[in-house]
Amino acid sequence: MLKKFLLLLLGASLLLTGCSATPTEKAGVVQRPLVISAIPDQDPEKLQRLYDSLASYLSTELGVPVIYEPVVDYTASVTAFKVGDLDLVWYGGLTGVQARLQVEGAQAIVQRDIDAAFHSVFIANVNSGLEPFSDIQGLQTLKGHTFTFGSDSSTSGRLMPQYFLKQAGVTLADFSAEAGFSGSHDKTIKLVESGTYDVGALNEQVWESRLAVGEVDTSKVIVLWRTPAYFDYHWVLNPNVAKDFGADMPENITQALLKLNPNVPEQKAILDLFGASKFITTENANYAEIEAIAREIGKIK
Amino acid sequence: MQLETQLHADRAVRYSSSNVRWSWIAAVAALIVWSLIQAGIFSGRTLINAGGWTLLLSFAQAALHPQLSPAFLILTLDSALITLGYAICGTSLSLMIGIIGGVLSSEIWWQAMSPTSHGRGIWWTIRAGLSMPRAIHEVIWGIFFVNILGLNPWVAILAIAIPFGAITAKVFSEILDEMPRAPLRALLNNGASPFAAFFYSILPQSIPNILSYTFYRLECSIRSAAVLGVIGAGGLGYQLWLSFQSLRYDEMWTFIFALIVLSGAVDIWSSQLRRRFGGTARLEAVNCQSASFMTKPVYRRDRAVTLSLIVITILIPLSYWYVQADFGTLFAPRAAKLFVSVISDSFPPALDTALIKELSHQTVQTFAISILAITVAGIGGLLFSFPAAQNRLTLTGVLNPKNHTALTLLILVPTRLLLLTFRAIPASVWALLLLFVLFPGILPGAIALGIYTLGILGRLMAEVIESLDERPLIALRSCGASGAQIFFYGVLPRAMPLFLSNILYRWEVSVRETVIIGVVGAAGLGRVLAEQLSNFDYAGMTTTLLFFIALTVFADVIGVFARRALQ
Repeated sequence: MLKKFLLLLLGASLLLTGCSATPTEKAGVVQRPLVISAIPDQDPEKLQRLYDSLASYLSTELGVPVIYEPVVDYTASVTAFKVGDLDLVWYGGLTGVQARLQVEGAQAIVQRDIDAAFHSVFIANVNSGLEPFSDIQGLQTLKGHTFTFGSDSSTSGRLMPQYFLKQAGVTLADFSAEAGFSGSHDKTIKLVESGTYDVGALNEQVWESRLAVGEVDTSKVIVLWRTPAYFDYHWVLNPNVAKDFGADMPENITQALLKLNPNVPEQKAILDLFGASKFITTENANYAEIEAIAREIGKIK
Repeated sequence: MQLETQLHADRAVRYSSSNVRWSWIAAVAALIVWSLIQAGIFSGRTLINAGGWTLLLSFAQAALHPQLSPAFLILTLDSALITLGYAICGTSLSLMIGIIGGVLSSEIWWQAMSPTSHGRGIWWTIRAGLSMPRAIHEVIWGIFFVNILGLNPWVAILAIAIPFGAITAKVFSEILDEMPRAPLRALLNNGASPFAAFFYSILPQSIPNILSYTFYRLECSIRSAAVLGVIGAGGLGYQLWLSFQSLRYDEMWTFIFALIVLSGAVDIWSSQLRRRFGGTARLEAVNCQSASFMTKPVYRRDRAVTLSLIVITILIPLSYWYVQADFGTLFAPRAAKLFVSVISDSFPPALDTALIKELSHQTVQTFAISILAITVAGIGGLLFSFPAAQNRLTLTGVLNPKNHTALTLLILVPTRLLLLTFRAIPASVWALLLLFVLFPGILPGAIALGIYTLGILGRLMAEVIESLDERPLIALRSCGASGAQIFFYGVLPRAMPLFLSNILYRWEVSVRETVIIGVVGAAGLGRVLAEQLSNFDYAGMTTTLLFFIALTVFADVIGVFARRALQ
């Protein structure tokens, strides 16, 4: 980034002094870089601004140039994956399914250890008078209260909460006002803390990490219920990769990600960006339930 | 009373009978009340959430300690340059579209080229064709282009250039048609070809106004580029959005300050230049007879203007380079293939009854949001524009006979900074802040859009005040009128028609902009669109867009009639 800025200054000074600057062309055959991306919904600013570490790690491991493309919008990311601009993307459960449905042959390859049994939490403002419960039927007590999801496409902040509500026989019309979409897990916490919404649902991992650093006013917000486990985030690989980089590339990528070791400081930094202690393998079949739920709720037509 | 009527009769701008005026006032009042009912003001429900004040306060306090680490400042600087780059690329392209479209959609061009009449049909076709891109917000254009071009800097450039180009074309055609036609006629009568006659008379005459308007569009482009950051353009909007997702207030403020500096600098540059060109704030809203607009031909050499044009000429290629826009990618075979697939996914539009019913309901809500937003912005504009105007009409001049410079600065600078902050913070951020302290419904989004619009409208209205003729006021003062009398009899009546014209214009824009705030507070067509986007439901999106376009056209039609009543 600094380099680009210095280049700009150089370019500007060249132009101002009347010289003509021509972009330098690389000699020889240019190897297409592997383009990776991620749409995290926990601390997106950290990953999106510190992605160099991951790109350079993969580049060293795979022996090909790796570019990280920062995309933050779910829809734009899935679309870019569809049109072939992204080779390897870190998606949520739902967005991963949506991306794979649009690209035949795309594979879910790797996930975090915690993603095999991921949870959401329902939280409430203490003034709502709601009490914690342990059975899914307890969701019925939410009727007549206000409620907010996180982002539209979030698995843990939208899809699964809506699914569990439905399981308990609660429809969105049962809330006292239209269900909100705060936009992110952190906003859900704050909007429940302020009391704007009585209840909200979010990613348990985000909730735990905010609690740990004391960013939640626990005198105002309580956890009502922790959902059963489901599969969430995972790396999705575009079939282009085998075509453009050789048939063994998918396996090499998988191994490179699995190899990330929390005992090596630079690699721990990468794992921390993803909030993971290690990566494990996964496969498309693990997300069949997510897909079925998404169809039921209308997120996939 | 009799004296007042007589005074009015002297003014050429008021043809309408007071009956017509009163029915407009009644209609507007009824609309506002209706919108307030939609927002639940009279439902007896609690609207203000006292629990959120501490959160709002912690956001405000973060302004005092923004994130200022060196690495972060470099990131901010790079982002600011990217945003500026996109704004310049988008504006330069929209200028090209605007000039070509403007010439082709002006009456005078077709009169010069084909006096016989069959040009009329082409003229109408081009006019109608240019009105469609205007009805669709930049963000929606951006989403459309992501689907065709993938991750490509052209997405943001085209998303700015196409709607702005269409608006610019409309304004340019009006400028061209307003130009004195005698030189053209003289050239034609002397046997010049229509083409040459047009290029040597009307076009050069209109250049100061065209340039002036282009600089105004550059200001708008900065704000658009910031909004477009989210869909892959990068820059300040993108970084702000990232920090906003995790509510890192200190980082948000660094980007907000950067946006304030960037858009403030462009605003000052642009308004200085526009003053030199003799153009006023927004040409399409300005009543040509009453403003200084188009009366001062600027053909004398002005070093600031020349220098600015040189700087811009250098900045344009530099911007294309900095955002790495490659012309080749625009015409890649993939783009054509994807274009076909998007179109085939989007048509025919979804027409199930449930969707139509939902959209009709949300269209009504969106309309109410836009009315509330412009009410907030309009009232705010009346309050803020006078302290923000810098000329002899206000505190610096007639109303401040002793000429207290310190007093002026004490009022002028903070007011302007406040307006700048209002428009530099994106409406979506305002919406969340308001949602902390208000209960969900259409109100938080509407007020958020209102505050953002106030930032823009307040400035436009201040420029209206600055462009008013000062002579009548000086005359009033010479006759011994007090400051208040000068204000109520000299300033307000003359500024009001122009104010209303600007308010109408911003109202039409806010109808489009509801798409941005729809997400928060779960209201309006923007909310439906966000959900359809996340479902990749293209057929549904087409239907939603059709409702959006219908609403925009409806607002434009009301605007046309209201302007007619104003004159």
